[in-house]
Amino acid sequence: MDVLFDGLIDAIGLLLSGDQDSWSIIMLTLRVSLSATAIALLIGLPLGAALALARFPGRRIVLAAANTGMGLPPVVVGLFVTVLLWRSGPLGGLELLYTPTAMVIAQAAIATPIVVALVAAALQQVDPDFRVQMQALGATSIRAFAALLGEARLPLLAGAMAAFGAVVSEVGAAQMVGGNLAGQTRVLTTAAVLATSRGQFSLAIAFGIILLLIAFGVNLSLTLTQQRRTVPR
Amino acid sequence: MSGLSTGIGCRDLRVHAGGRELLSVPELHVAAGRTLAVLGPNGAGKSTLLRALGLLTSHRVSGQILLDGRPATRSLMREAIAAVLQRPILRRGTVAANVISGLRFRGMSRREARIRAWPWIESLGLAPLADRDVGTLSIGEAQRVSITRALAVGPRVLLLDEPFSGLDSTTRADLLADLRAALTGQPTATILVTHDRQEALALAEDTALLIDGRIRQHGPTTEVLDRPSDADTARLLGYTNLLPAALTGRTHTLAARPEHTQLVLDPSEDPADQTDAVRVVTGTLRRTVALGIATRVDVDTSTGRLTCLHPGDVLATELPPIGSNVRVRIRHARSLVIAD
Repeated sequence: MDVLFDGLIDAIGLLLSGDQDSWSIIMLTLRVSLSATAIALLIGLPLGAALALARFPGRRIVLAAANTGMGLPPVVVGLFVTVLLWRSGPLGGLELLYTPTAMVIAQAAIATPIVVALVAAALQQVDPDFRVQMQALGATSIRAFAALLGEARLPLLAGAMAAFGAVVSEVGAAQMVGGNLAGQTRVLTTAAVLATSRGQFSLAIAFGIILLLIAFGVNLSLTLTQQRRTVPR
Repeated sequence: MSGLSTGIGCRDLRVHAGGRELLSVPELHVAAGRTLAVLGPNGAGKSTLLRALGLLTSHRVSGQILLDGRPATRSLMREAIAAVLQRPILRRGTVAANVISGLRFRGMSRREARIRAWPWIESLGLAPLADRDVGTLSIGEAQRVSITRALAVGPRVLLLDEPFSGLDSTTRADLLADLRAALTGQPTATILVTHDRQEALALAEDTALLIDGRIRQHGPTTEVLDRPSDADTARLLGYTNLLPAALTGRTHTLAARPEHTQLVLDPSEDPADQTDAVRVVTGTLRRTVALGIATRVDVDTSTGRLTCLHPGDVLATELPPIGSNVRVRIRHARSLVIAD
């Protein structure tokens, strides 16, 4: 228990001390994971909506693929992104490997199938005639779609939370494409792994606790948005 | 000048889906201030017709939809219509917020929309529920909200897609009366899709019978409901007993309602006592079922089965045994123009 307690003290100390290294790790973690989640939402929302609302051949197969993608191992994603960005790889010329951008790409690849699958499920929960009913009250098709998103807000934001949770907590892809370079690509998960391997357990626990606090903070703000009324009085 | 008259209509309307023609309506028009009931069995294409007229369908549509005599565009239609679907589809939030949502879609501020909608909320009896969350409403209350929401936009065209079909009889009767009262004097062209004759009678001056995607009959409701032209429309209108010419010796098939078809229970009655409207046919008693308010008697004749409906509970001792030969008197029958 001493190790856990020391870890807690260290975490509070790190947060309060304004230690430059720790803060840069925290800020990079937030920047990478929030960017990756935002990109996943930008790509996943229209794709998920198309899967939920449009009818085309192969739709169910794409849906099944997205559902499978929810369980994509980060190490596998990390491997593919590494191969793509490797100096002699197809995108090697961009020289992105071992940069935060590479980490954002890998994490966005992990989060996108989660967003696609959960958006599709969220929109399919709403009555299939919802948009027709809104249009039959004078809504344009864009307003009707916006109303649909509002109606499905609870499960949609749950999808965003699931995507953020998946990327902020993964270590495999961040390690492989980022390289865990101090001051450049070190995030909370890779820092915790490194500290553990060096036997600095209380530091590792401190990083873990900070990670949990970040996840809680982001999810709290999303939850507060989620639980607001859809149609205000 | 029917081409320029107000209201909604169509010309040469055809709807296709999956290589199949779902609907073909050469011409239909509902004038402002009038209500048309489209009566038909399940799968006849009633909802397809309603959605095609409101430009709300994803199926392939050809022909012309006319709004106030002019070809309708999506934006013109959007301003003109409001619809109530079979299931009340409400947005999460309060009753009042839902009622004003149609006005909000039309660009009105929340305050203005509430002022505009409030008389409708009151006249449809929703004032006590105005601040309730719609998640706590019964299905009848939810459909009442859906109807009020449609009326509140002051639509020039009101489309009603079987709005009463999921409701219990008391709720349905109340809502039907309230809707009728609300529509009276309004310059709205209303189309009610239903499979219920009582709803057509209660709401619509005119009725069209839609079977297999085609309008078989169209005219004033009281006339259409009482004058089936063929076997399909006879069945739809409750004339379920068909008496082919071979059975009656007439030139056309006759159709009768079960309530106008009864067993001759008194053996001394003279079967020759037949006027033109009254027919007596013979058959075999197949079964009797006590329905509480009536007794149903099924009789097999040489050309098919007849259903008789005797008011009240007929005592078993009054009825002949199953399998015995009986006479059936048809008090009132309609001659079908098209023999089947």
